[in-house]
Amino acid sequence: MSNKQETSNCDMHEELVSYLYNEATAEESTRVAAHLTECTACKQELHSFERVRGMLQQWQLDDLPVVRIVAERAPSERSMLAVLKELSSMTPLWAKVFGAVAMALVVLAVIGTDVTVGSNGISFRADLLRRDRDVRPAGVVDSGSQSGPNIEQVRTEVKSLVNQLIADRERQQRDEIKAQLVSLESQLQNMHSADLAKLATRIQEQQARLRTIQQDIDRREGLDLTDILFSDGGTPRERSTSGGSD
Amino acid sequence: MELSDIQIIERTLGGETDAFNVLVRRWERQIYGLTLRMLGRDEEAKDATQETFLSAYRNLSKFRGEAKFSSWIYRIALNICNTRLRSRSKFTISLDEQRELSGFELADDTDDLGSGIQQEQITRHVRRALQGLPSDMRQVIIMKEYEGLKFSEIAEVLGIPISTVKTRMYTGLSELRKRLGHLREAI
Repeated sequence: MSNKQETSNCDMHEELVSYLYNEATAEESTRVAAHLTECTACKQELHSFERVRGMLQQWQLDDLPVVRIVAERAPSERSMLAVLKELSSMTPLWAKVFGAVAMALVVLAVIGTDVTVGSNGISFRADLLRRDRDVRPAGVVDSGSQSGPNIEQVRTEVKSLVNQLIADRERQQRDEIKAQLVSLESQLQNMHSADLAKLATRIQEQQARLRTIQQDIDRREGLDLTDILFSDGGTPRERSTSGGSD
Repeated sequence: MELSDIQIIERTLGGETDAFNVLVRRWERQIYGLTLRMLGRDEEAKDATQETFLSAYRNLSKFRGEAKFSSWIYRIALNICNTRLRSRSKFTISLDEQRELSGFELADDTDDLGSGIQQEQITRHVRRALQGLPSDMRQVIIMKEYEGLKFSEIAEVLGIPISTVKTRMYTGLSELRKRLGHLREAI
């Protein structure tokens, strides 16, 4: 075999390859075998191909790679995150807002929140114990289930305790308000008494003053003008004193 | 009783994700052999093997069962190899590879081949000779010589007529005969 060896000119390339690899049909095999007895070029080519095959088989694998597929989920299934991302990318903005509001309402419903729309606007009321109140009357303990009795009993006790505390607090507040009212009434009465006393005192003072003035007038009505002008020093001093007190 | 490839695929798609490892163990040697002989580099062949099985796993639901699983996964592996070969730059391959791809003769370390050549040397020359072949011829020879596929199976993998497969085989063997002719006395 030479590097410059040419391929066969016979038009039997495909049959020769099939014959080389034992994939030729019986008819092809008979035809190729007959041809090889007549064509030296094809016979040499077949032998050279067999030698090439022998060389190729010298290259065998020494080691193998360790290939392990660590599967986290079935390949036909897509991750929830991928689905949500795709859904988000395809959803219009109005739909996203609507979805968010719907999700918020679901969450509020789960935690027992009442949303009321009335004349006073929108009001929210969260009550985690509302479900119990709706299901059964207060104070009734369900002992039917295995895990229920303790929880229900505790809830009932807590509710009764809270109700008692509320009632005590309301009663205490009522008493305090009553006491405050009594105190205010008393203060008001005291204030009235003091005012009346002060007024009476003032009236008495004014009455005494009026009497003094009247006495002074009566005393002066008995004197004439000369008595007043030419009287001794005792008379002006007396007048001055009476005028000073006026 | 050993499960068939189709049964394993059905189990994997049914949720038994570990079942796919059975397929990996069953086919990893063949796929690694294909990628190694196509790419000529051990580490790159291992990466391509891993990539092949990962791609097969991710696209397992697309396998219709009309063809054999082996044909399907061989096609995946060849696509991955061809993509890697196309992305190779002339600046990233060795001088020997450049010379072989350009059609030059092999290196001159064949002077002592006539007297007691070692198998390791033959393997090295075969490796280089295969790397010097065009990809379409190389993949046909590899699938026939090393994977033992029939011509009809190779045609199914490549999606080409059987006659084209045989023509590529004949041309490829003729080219290898030229490239390995200096080993004549050693065999």
